[in-house]
Amino acid sequence: MILENSVKERPESEMLDRLIICPKCHTIHEKVAIPKGKSALCDTCKKVLYHYDERVLDHGLALGITGLLLFFVSNLFPLVKVEMLGHEQHVTILSMVFSLFENGFYVVGVTVAFMVFIFPLMILVDYITLSWLMRLKKGKQLTKELLILLSKLLPWNMVEIYLVSILVALVKLIGFMQIHFGLSFWSLVLFVILDTYLSKRIHMGELWELRHRIYTYG
Amino acid sequence: MVDKQIDPSKLLRCPVCEAVNIDREGDVYCHRCQSRIFRNPKLGTSRAWAFLLTALILYIPANLYPILVSERFMAREGNTIIGGIILLWEEGSYPIAMIILVASVLVPILKFIVLLYLLISAHFKKHRYTQVDQHKLHYMTEVIGPWSMVDVFVVAILTGLVHLGSIRVIAGPGATAFVLMVLFTMFAALSIDTRLFKERGSHGRG
Repeated sequence: MILENSVKERPESEMLDRLIICPKCHTIHEKVAIPKGKSALCDTCKKVLYHYDERVLDHGLALGITGLLLFFVSNLFPLVKVEMLGHEQHVTILSMVFSLFENGFYVVGVTVAFMVFIFPLMILVDYITLSWLMRLKKGKQLTKELLILLSKLLPWNMVEIYLVSILVALVKLIGFMQIHFGLSFWSLVLFVILDTYLSKRIHMGELWELRHRIYTYG
Repeated sequence: MVDKQIDPSKLLRCPVCEAVNIDREGDVYCHRCQSRIFRNPKLGTSRAWAFLLTALILYIPANLYPILVSERFMAREGNTIIGGIILLWEEGSYPIAMIILVASVLVPILKFIVLLYLLISAHFKKHRYTQVDQHKLHYMTEVIGPWSMVDVFVVAILTGLVHLGSIRVIAGPGATAFVLMVLFTMFAALSIDTRLFKERGSHGRG
């Protein structure tokens, strides 16, 4: 009886925040406390709902900065170099986009540039700024905008698909020419691993809750 | 267990911040991020139809026109998606042929079928599958969708990499159509309103 009254007095949003809907199958769950380092799974489809990571902002910041460094290295040096009959040619992410432009493929060029360069960079910068601000407990409004932007950017990041594509393209060239991997290729491999880990780690719901706790209770 | 005061069938997941919200008639603004979650669900549906039909139309030139043009000593040769797969298969690169086949042919077709099925079954309010399965299907199209970009990225890399003396590889008009097709199917999947699966009400298989 007492419990029911206390529930009723709470604002509706707080009541709703105790619930979570599975992103995959949309089953409704009530959140439960879980031990450190564990994850809560949906009981219908086994999708991870949330983790308990005390230092999610520290981890996020560290991974974000590492990612940014790898991203720069991946773009500064050639990804791949090919050799054939004395001719030599190398490619970077940006030179690839420019040669699409040169050949008049503007739609393809712009789309590829956004998916493998602009969006990944924006996600990293957004994530780093967000973790930083939340650690400093500053910028309540800005963190909200950053979180909204982040959730809109995430589906358009295709770096991992790009890496697979490089390998497919190279297999097509094997036999015709000699192939050398550049420094950027290995850096891109590391970047993709980190990026995949980070995007598995970023649960938008958790970041929102953290933001709520930080700016409400300090 | 869900609170008695809240009707579980009226709960929505905000696509932006994942917060749980109560579905009220008309516009719903998320209580956490204030994004407008759902306008009229019908609007989302007709938008999804428009995107999907555009994508279907673009799929035709994407397959008819060459996606890749290679120039060897003044001789130009165009390869369509299917042509490229057949060529790879004949050369013996079976794994790569399979990857391209799955990414550029099967994934788009599967996505078309699933999106058509979701939209049509929402229209007729008939359901052979449960809500959970519909949500899973929708989730799956969002996950596998981007993988159809593989072929476009391959073309982009080859265009940037292969211009050695008299040998050149450039993208073909099919690539532009294909990119637009992928973008429009992604827009279609993103604009499908998950409330559509909910409106049927029943939880059982029937």
